[in-house]
Amino acid sequence: MPGPRALLGLGLLAAAAAARAGGRCPERGWSWGRGWNRSWGRERGWNRSRGWERGRCLPRRAMHGPSAGPGPAGLRFLGQEEAQAIDQELFTEYKFSVDQLMELAGLSCATAIAKAYPPSSFTTSQPAVLVVCGPGNNGGDGLVCARHLKMFGYQPTVYYPKRSSKPLFEGLTTQCKKMDIPFLPEFPTEAAFIDELYGLVVDAIFGFSFTGAVREPFGSILSTLERVTVPIASIDIPSGWDVEKGKADGLQPDMLISLTAPKKAAMHFTGRYHFLGGRFVPPALQEKYALNLPAYPGTDCVLQLT
Amino acid sequence: MSSAPGPPREPPRYLSRAEAEAMEKELLEDYRFGRQQLIEIWGHACAVAVTKAFPLPSLPRRQPTLLVACGPAQNGAIGLVCARHLRSFGYEPTIFYPKRSPEPLHRDFTTQCEKMDIPFLSYLPTEVQLIDDAYNAVVDAVLGAEGSEGPEPCAAILGTLRLLRIPIVSLDVPSGWAPGPASGDISPAVLVSLAAPQEVTRRFQGRRHFLAGRFVPEELQRKFGIGPRHYPGSDCVVAL
Repeated sequence: MPGPRALLGLGLLAAAAAARAGGRCPERGWSWGRGWNRSWGRERGWNRSRGWERGRCLPRRAMHGPSAGPGPAGLRFLGQEEAQAIDQELFTEYKFSVDQLMELAGLSCATAIAKAYPPSSFTTSQPAVLVVCGPGNNGGDGLVCARHLKMFGYQPTVYYPKRSSKPLFEGLTTQCKKMDIPFLPEFPTEAAFIDELYGLVVDAIFGFSFTGAVREPFGSILSTLERVTVPIASIDIPSGWDVEKGKADGLQPDMLISLTAPKKAAMHFTGRYHFLGGRFVPPALQEKYALNLPAYPGTDCVLQLT
Repeated sequence: MSSAPGPPREPPRYLSRAEAEAMEKELLEDYRFGRQQLIEIWGHACAVAVTKAFPLPSLPRRQPTLLVACGPAQNGAIGLVCARHLRSFGYEPTIFYPKRSPEPLHRDFTTQCEKMDIPFLSYLPTEVQLIDDAYNAVVDAVLGAEGSEGPEPCAAILGTLRLLRIPIVSLDVPSGWAPGPASGDISPAVLVSLAAPQEVTRRFQGRRHFLAGRFVPEELQRKFGIGPRHYPGSDCVVAL
């Protein structure tokens, strides 16, 4: 019969789990994960009345400066460098792979689209969606999104003019093709053709790493998209926008799906739907950058911000 | 629970182990899914199934604790991903992963869990009452389709699982279940089949059976005679 100490160990295990729900305090520098690789039941030496209960230690908001934007109180809008730093940390420290996060990001985008533009809402005879994929990771998110849209009952078509030769992207392209998702050989020359054929356009051209001038063919593509009247859903950043300052005369999407956390450009977004997606940010990383993300509902991988 | 009656639920078609392996091979080689991608998709879907079987408000314990027992191979890796998603869904998983795979992929999954502050037990108490008291349910990601008891410490884990009173959720195939007469099998309350239910799980009699096969391309479903099947809304799992 195990002594009370072993049972206490279990009780403490439960308490620690409760405390952990509050997130890890960066100031204390404790790491619960490693600490628990000890003998079961050995007394931990801490008690319930310390700050490990539910509730977190206050993050030092001052260190991140005034970058709160519209949306739920305290939700931060990231600068480009911060967004890149968080991304890097997810891969180097947290050991996520691009494959994993891209799959979750693309699923978020498709789920947000399904919420805002259900197939029954399309006026075209089929719920046809044009997914325009750029040359980098934003394009990869678009490929994953297209595949999930197909599974959700949409009829996606992809335009992917500058294809990455990396195995991940070739794999994602093959997955789409084997699911009978057509890839257009050319981009429709007139906005009116797009309006005619599709009920929605997904802009997966440029993401948060975008900087500098827009290279062809994407300049022409964006000009056409700017004249399209069907709704546009942009993944992470409306393509062509400065990641922090936006672009007043650029693309005006109806929906924005911010991944991980919204970027400063999102403060200039005036469309109807702003969703948050990419539900994979570990609590410790959220705390470190004081993201102040609101809680996602249930098991949903998206959260509607506006 | 869907509010409108869905299409009539057809009984699932069960795949033999050879067919299940052939399907996985086709997903990887012809459809060019990545193995990590598949494990992520499965682990996420299993976590969603767990939340449907054991919604947070329904848990008997004050804390939403779950024990996730992970074996050394792919089924264990799926368990690790499942634990991570359960953590982000607001549960408090604890992982028991005694025999760690040396594969870099599985090590990365382990790191991701550690960095989400998910504790890893260094041993599983043989006193079953301790487990029954500490956790609301156990996720069995030990052996999956590998059938026989496997090397230590899997046999010992199974011995403990057999005696538990709290419900077990098995991923893909209840650990230790093999073709032939059932003997000393664990009795999970919930089964989450992955791409399709496997033949050996035909004798499953627990209360909930989920299928996490939404991501399987329709053409492949037709080829193996397992679909297409209707999934509600944008759910990645469906109750069978």
